[in-house]
Amino acid sequence: MSTFRSHVWSSVGKKMITGSTGLMLVGFVAVHLLGNLTLFIPDRGHAFNAYAYFLEHAVHGWLILAFEAGLLAVFGFHIVSAVTVAWTDKRKARPVGYALVRNAGGKSRKGLPSTSMIVTGLSLAVFVILHVKMFKFTDHPAVVHDGKEMKDLYAVVVAAFKQPLIAGAYVAVMGMLGFHLRHGFWSAFQSLGWNNDRAIVVLENLARVVAVLFAVGFLALPLYILFFVDPSVSGGHR
Amino acid sequence: MSRILDAKIPSGPLADKWDRHEMECPLVAPANRRKFTVIVVGTGLAGGGAAATLGELGYNVLNFCVQDTPRRAHSVAAQGGINASKNYQNDGDSVERLFYDTVKGGDYRSREANVYRLSQLSMGIIDQCVAMGVPFAREYGGTLANRSFGGVQVSRTFYARGQTGQQLLLGVYSALSRQVAAGTVKMFPRHEMLDLVVVDGRARGIVCRDLVTGEMKRYAADAVVLATGGYSPVFYLSTNAVNCSATSIWRAYKRGALFANPCYTQIHPTAIPQLGDYQSKLTLMSESLRNDGRMWVPKAPGDKRRPADIPEAERDYFLERRYPAFGNLVPRDIAARASKVECDAGKGVGNTGFAVYLDFADAIKRLGRDVVADRYGNLFTMYEEIIADDPYHTPMMIYPAPHYTMGGLWVDYNLESTIPGLFVAGEANFSDHGANRLGASALMQGCADGYFVVPRVVAGYLARGGHGKVTTDHEAFGAVEDEVRRRYDALLAVKGSRTVRDFHWDLGRVMWDKVGMARDRTGLEQAITQIRELREAYWHDVKVPGEAADFNKQLEMAGRVADFLELGELMAMDALAREESCGGHFRAEHHTPEGEARRDDENFMHVAAWEHKGDGQAPVRHVEPLVYENIEVKTRSYK
Amino acid sequence: MSEMTIHLKIWRQARGETKDSQKSQGRFVDYTVEKVLPEMSFLETLDLLNEKLTRQGQQPVEFDSDCREGICGTCGLVIKGTAHGPNPKTTTCEVRMRHFRDGETITVEPFRAGPFPILKDLVVDRTAFDRIQQQGGFVTANVGSAPDSNAVPIPKLDADKAMDAASCIGCGACVAACPNASASLFVGAKISQLSYLPQGGPERGRRALLMIGQMDREGFGDCSNHGECEAVCPKEISIENIARMRREFFKGALGGHDRKAATGD
Repeated sequence: MSTFRSHVWSSVGKKMITGSTGLMLVGFVAVHLLGNLTLFIPDRGHAFNAYAYFLEHAVHGWLILAFEAGLLAVFGFHIVSAVTVAWTDKRKARPVGYALVRNAGGKSRKGLPSTSMIVTGLSLAVFVILHVKMFKFTDHPAVVHDGKEMKDLYAVVVAAFKQPLIAGAYVAVMGMLGFHLRHGFWSAFQSLGWNNDRAIVVLENLARVVAVLFAVGFLALPLYILFFVDPSVSGGHR
Repeated sequence: MSRILDAKIPSGPLADKWDRHEMECPLVAPANRRKFTVIVVGTGLAGGGAAATLGELGYNVLNFCVQDTPRRAHSVAAQGGINASKNYQNDGDSVERLFYDTVKGGDYRSREANVYRLSQLSMGIIDQCVAMGVPFAREYGGTLANRSFGGVQVSRTFYARGQTGQQLLLGVYSALSRQVAAGTVKMFPRHEMLDLVVVDGRARGIVCRDLVTGEMKRYAADAVVLATGGYSPVFYLSTNAVNCSATSIWRAYKRGALFANPCYTQIHPTAIPQLGDYQSKLTLMSESLRNDGRMWVPKAPGDKRRPADIPEAERDYFLERRYPAFGNLVPRDIAARASKVECDAGKGVGNTGFAVYLDFADAIKRLGRDVVADRYGNLFTMYEEIIADDPYHTPMMIYPAPHYTMGGLWVDYNLESTIPGLFVAGEANFSDHGANRLGASALMQGCADGYFVVPRVVAGYLARGGHGKVTTDHEAFGAVEDEVRRRYDALLAVKGSRTVRDFHWDLGRVMWDKVGMARDRTGLEQAITQIRELREAYWHDVKVPGEAADFNKQLEMAGRVADFLELGELMAMDALAREESCGGHFRAEHHTPEGEARRDDENFMHVAAWEHKGDGQAPVRHVEPLVYENIEVKTRSYK
Repeated sequence: MSEMTIHLKIWRQARGETKDSQKSQGRFVDYTVEKVLPEMSFLETLDLLNEKLTRQGQQPVEFDSDCREGICGTCGLVIKGTAHGPNPKTTTCEVRMRHFRDGETITVEPFRAGPFPILKDLVVDRTAFDRIQQQGGFVTANVGSAPDSNAVPIPKLDADKAMDAASCIGCGACVAACPNASASLFVGAKISQLSYLPQGGPERGRRALLMIGQMDREGFGDCSNHGECEAVCPKEISIENIARMRREFFKGALGGHDRKAATGD
């Protein structure tokens, strides 16, 4: 009956996939956040554009391709396993629901972050698509830095976030990211079996910190651009 | 008409009897075992242990229980522990001492050879359970921990917090699970055995009711093992589970098996007192509490002050006063009766006056709250949830409650009843505890019977052969099934005005008042009359809702209560016939000037085993004389 | 001793109504029970209701219970939206009426999960748990083959941890409370208990793989680490046992125990 593949796609295997891919995505998002921080440097986007240029051209452009392919797979596994867990399997396992459900409280970790994982997760998935479309698959003006002609991604970012609607939407989505990480971060360790009664206290607190740090780190950028960057000067700061 | 029963005790020195007997039991070759079918009713320590072990040996086992899964058999509720003569504590324990303590604790009314075997097997039980992953309590050094229990002066009780029965039962359940997976044991949960089928004088099968569909089903086998527990719920309020019943053993009795010592019941001294008449059961507080708790009542009758307001000088620590050597650790029957004496003298506490204090103030002072919490925390929580009072600050209120029945179907040394091929194990038989069971000995007996004795003796029975194959098409099965059907249809057809519980409650009152902790001739005679009247009324006025072919809890209970209404009478008759006091059986006419039980060894050093002679006819009392060759019979003293 | 009146909204379902169909045919019925005392247990209140219904010639409400002291695991109802009622660390039979208000309406539902089909009213079939256990929730130790019980010392901490996990009563509240109807706490507790003990060590990998395989085949949901199970567990079994179960599973799968499992069955 049992084969290695059936174990991988067992209830525990799926959670291990969700957890491990989740942690990989946390790693990716952390790097992304660090890259974004260059936008706060008041150099008219020089550092940011240079960073983007580096990513695009490293190892003759192969690095980014490999990375994107990997990332796509990680996203795919994360989404498919998580949707199976929290959507299809869940519905099959309880075909008739309760008339009244209350949270048990006490040691329960159930709350908005945990119950909304599927909502925040799928919202983030939609967001990622729009985000990539908005910044990657778009026309980029050119700019010359240090004698090299490169895409002025910075201008695209500023133009986008100068629209209050887009900036606001970003802020909202980053709030969702915080929620997702609030449960997802410690939960990943639990899913991988890296947890016990002592570690859980540390991991839960760490999840709170990571959630706030990532959410604030990302949502600060659109707000910063919206309110503090002068649109009249490309790459200029007030 | 009365005859002398032969227990078929093997000859030879006491210490060699079991080994020799095992050697003399014929065997069944491994390849032939699967050809034999054994029915085991009950999945507790005795039944489940026997089923698993028989399955392990290769027999084809059919295992039945009324619960929804074998893991809920009532062994699960045993709290305190299991005795074994390991002498890990180096306090002078031995097989001989456990044997001696058990015979003495049973007030010299148990069978020497059985008790000795039990004592010998006790060590193997602990080994076996540990090997199966039972997480007994341990010391920091990694060795097993022990505690002491009432009625003995050594620490020989192994335990798993306050859940020893649960852990042992889960061991049994895991062994059963393994055999179910292996295909040797077939499990029938939610099946209640309603009758025994006897063909050509041998037990050959059972008739069951599927408790989900209500369907009547027949099962045939080469041997039948009953391990269906005790009959304490005859008192209605007891510490037993609400589905505990006497039905299986009572039906076997009516098919010809003798019922031994039905009057031997254990009233446990430390249960939470009854609060009202809505109650469905009484909750036990483990005997281990008496290791650190001190029992007392106010010295003055009718003293209604709060316990904290009663000064030390005005308290009577009655067990310590009466039994200085054992103090609060006297056996259960002694402690229970002493509490009753105090309450009858008007010194009882609480709203009803039927309670005594169990006080932990000294223990908390001596050991600290943390140690007390570590030892008894879960029991304190349980008490607080029920009584809404904190035992860390206010002494617990406790009162005796029916808990265990030493009586049961009569069996010989092979645990075989008077119906060949019908074996009885655990609390359902009568054999090992005499007139009073010591704490932590029930689990010991259940495991010994289940893991070690039944598999051996059943093999011996099967190997001796002489019984052809019988199928459920045999006319005896049809006849029994019809009888059972008629009985249940009759219960439904009464359509009277009172519920099953009403009758059960009334029976319980009669039993508790007149066949309870103290019995006398007048009361017992009244009880017999009242029970007969109640039984008569039952079949004319009971109201059982629903249908036979459905999930119908009330109908299940109706069948069980009908049997209790017959068993209660036999208990009273047995108590009436036993003109002495011994262990849990206390006749008000027979006591010493100090109020202690007075045995009559000359006339009653025997087992009384009752034979059913048909409904409406008086049962016949047979005897099995008890011979003590290896132990000096003394007056039991815990002073 | 103030008497209360309690209104009950109870799920009623005839036997066999959902045998084949996943769609429920049951319904809620309202009842009122008078003269309820605060010290009564919840099940005694249901007893009282059933006495009343029987006298009135109506069908009593079927529910499971046995020991009525919180150890056998037979009883299990969802009371006011929580498995085993609003109080922590208790089974349904241990819930006392003093935790409810006079005149309160209490919703009573069965444990709901696909693998726990309703047999009648509030009674569910939990034999799925037995089938999981049969896959490996045991130590293969034949009677008579055991060494002396003190031959292998076990650290007290391990013995205590094993006991924490072993105190599971198999009531199914974890499944009932889990938003996903997962049985991970139940299965985790058994796998974890045996993983702390040297006994049965050779079977560890196989045990984890087979038990989890059966849990999935029964149709229980996956665990999303909500932790509701731990909160409703009457024996306070920690979700660290689920983490441990996953470790055991990983080791079992990596160790190739799946191959043995595949040929063994």
